[in-house]
Amino acid sequence: MPNATDPLHDNAFMEAFLNLVIPPDEDRRMPGAGSLGLGAAVAAAVETDSLLGHAVVTGLRAVRDAAVARDPAGLPGLTREARLEVLEGVLAHHPAFMTGVARHLYPAYYQHPRVLEALGEPARAPFPEGFQIEPTDAALMAKLLARRK
Amino acid sequence: MGTSVLCLEQGPWMHQKDYPTNFLDWESRAMGPFASNPNVRRLAQDYPVNDSASPIQPLMFNAVGGSTILWAAHFPRFTPGDFRVKSTDGVADDWPIGYQTLEPFYATNDRMMGVAGLAGDPAYPYHEPPMAPLPLGATGNIVASGFEKLGWHWWPSDSAIASRDYEGRAACINLGPCTSACSQGAKASTDITYWPVAQRKGVQLRTGCRVKEITVRADGMADGVLYYDQDGVLQEQKAEIVVLACNGIGTPRLLLNSKSPQHPDGLANSSGLVGKNLMFHPYALIRGIFDEPLNGRRGPGGCTVWSHEFYKSDPSRGFIRGYSYEGTRGAGPAQEALWGMAAGLVPWGEGHHEAYARLHGHIAGMVAITEDLPEETNTVTLDPELTDSNGVPAPKVTYTLSENSKKMLAHAVERGKEALSAAGAVETWAEPLLRPAGWHLMGTARMGTDTARSVVNEWGRAHDVKNLFIIDGSIFVTSAGVNPTSTIQALALYIADRIKQNIGNLFD
Ligand SMILES: Cc1cc2nc3c(=O)[nH]c(=O)nc-3n(C[C@H](O)[C@H](O)[C@H](O)COP(=O)(O)OP(=O)(O)OC[C@H]3O[C@@H](n4cnc5c(N)ncnc54)[C@H](O)[C@@H]3O)c2cc1C
Repeated sequence: MPNATDPLHDNAFMEAFLNLVIPPDEDRRMPGAGSLGLGAAVAAAVETDSLLGHAVVTGLRAVRDAAVARDPAGLPGLTREARLEVLEGVLAHHPAFMTGVARHLYPAYYQHPRVLEALGEPARAPFPEGFQIEPTDAALMAKLLARRK
Repeated sequence: MGTSVLCLEQGPWMHQKDYPTNFLDWESRAMGPFASNPNVRRLAQDYPVNDSASPIQPLMFNAVGGSTILWAAHFPRFTPGDFRVKSTDGVADDWPIGYQTLEPFYATNDRMMGVAGLAGDPAYPYHEPPMAPLPLGATGNIVASGFEKLGWHWWPSDSAIASRDYEGRAACINLGPCTSACSQGAKASTDITYWPVAQRKGVQLRTGCRVKEITVRADGMADGVLYYDQDGVLQEQKAEIVVLACNGIGTPRLLLNSKSPQHPDGLANSSGLVGKNLMFHPYALIRGIFDEPLNGRRGPGGCTVWSHEFYKSDPSRGFIRGYSYEGTRGAGPAQEALWGMAAGLVPWGEGHHEAYARLHGHIAGMVAITEDLPEETNTVTLDPELTDSNGVPAPKVTYTLSENSKKMLAHAVERGKEALSAAGAVETWAEPLLRPAGWHLMGTARMGTDTARSVVNEWGRAHDVKNLFIIDGSIFVTSAGVNPTSTIQALALYIADRIKQNIGNLFD
């Protein structure tokens, strides 16, 4: 059942919405943000954001209302094209909305182990293993040393 | 008998095990409790800074180790010419001391902090960093190749980061941006460099203690301080000498909060210059996107190479003084996405993954650090309403970017893009003035011999209060076009030495 007042905690709505913002890529290597179940993480972050939180919640509410006006099942009931139309329509009147969404969604998405693995990044904390980096280019270094004072 | 030294610090001791890179979500932590903006962190030990009248946000960290907990550890010295701007360029003022005076203290400090670098940079008097330079990595190599192709000056950066195990510190393992604090302890933050030595020598440290004001005796000399202890209880501490090291914003704030009948405009402020002449280094960020993978999230974020190609004045450029470039690597995956969005390079929806894949691991670039000239209209004052968690008035920063700085930034952007294109960038991008870039806080209690035009003398002693010393960036006369901390620390050592040498007749 969609929660009438709080789109942040309306799981079906959030899944459909987040999949619009970061959809799965064509070969499904990169998962959609909604399918990764990031709704709760985004909600928690938005709720503590005194700067953009309000703009995000207001925008989400507008998306949900506009979707329900098209189809009683709301955003999850619409085709992908129709969902995008709804979202574009809302963005025209809520300019800060998507900045606020991305501010919280991108960190949640790009720190998720499945996403890191898909990017070829190790899904671990940097410490204690650390990383190797490439050595200094010896040819460049030789030129530099010739100019040494 | 030695001198008894007590240090009061409003923040706590930090622990490497709590630093962001111990955790998978290190990027979120680095943007939250380890953010460099105190207005974002809002921890009890922080004080808010009203920055609504400044295009540059002041950044700092409040803990044992101060802002070096988060700093990037890029460690250039000032050049000899940086101390003589009035003589060479007819602007600002000369320092009352020069490079030669500070040289032995730069050298001691390089050893204490543990500096990695390569001797022989033609832009500097010869000096030998104690450790070999850090590897440049793919990002450093590519930026250096751009400079090299154009025939510009470049050199591996002096970095206060251990390139090998060094005096109890482990070598750098390339965790990523040093500005989220160093879990490895390879980066020199003063809690792990100076503090253990100071404590062995008997220096006492009280943490969680916020100084509210400096008290004065009937004769106007400093008498000690009033401070709030960890429980918020106001305490008094007497002292024969008071030394301030609260940075270019915290120090004028404290002086202005220390009003008395003897010093009605704030302590040490008969010149009216406390809080004036605030200098940041206005920064431009220039980035290139490359076809080849550069793995830029790995390795110290800001310590690859520097260039002094445009460091000195050249009238044909249309501005006075100049700037240095500091090579930068990429960022973590989340930061890259956020940056890509802000730069308009990574859209939401269709096309997101393709655009992100072009950026991720394919970015290298540089920042331009421009010399900011002192202007009395750029100020730190007390905000009439804002306070910290103890109710102590908080600072307000009022700052206007000068026409000279604007021209310098524009020049730096164009030349920087040229270098990245020469290095093979398929696309370049720039932010001509970085807002979250007030890392360097200088000039607000300047040094000088003329008591009407400066706050402290040539060895850091307040003209008006002979037992009050300042040893942070506040006392800078000019800012140079390089990061300041090597010079702040050399000055602090020099002033400590002068106090020691003159202890017999310190107050004459
Ligand atoms: C993210 C970041 C990156 C940086 N990168 C570089 C770099 O690469 N190279 C470089 O040269 N510089 C860099 N800097 C700047 C560098 O960190 C500072 O120049 C340096 O730390 C200044 O030292 P300081 O002791 O004067 O001030 P701080 O390090 O700011 O320390 C001041 C201390 O005073 C305490 N304090 C203030 N007021 C009170 C009070 N009323 N009572 C009690 N305690 C008080 C604070 O809690 C703090 O611990 C960077 C800074 C930041 C924030």
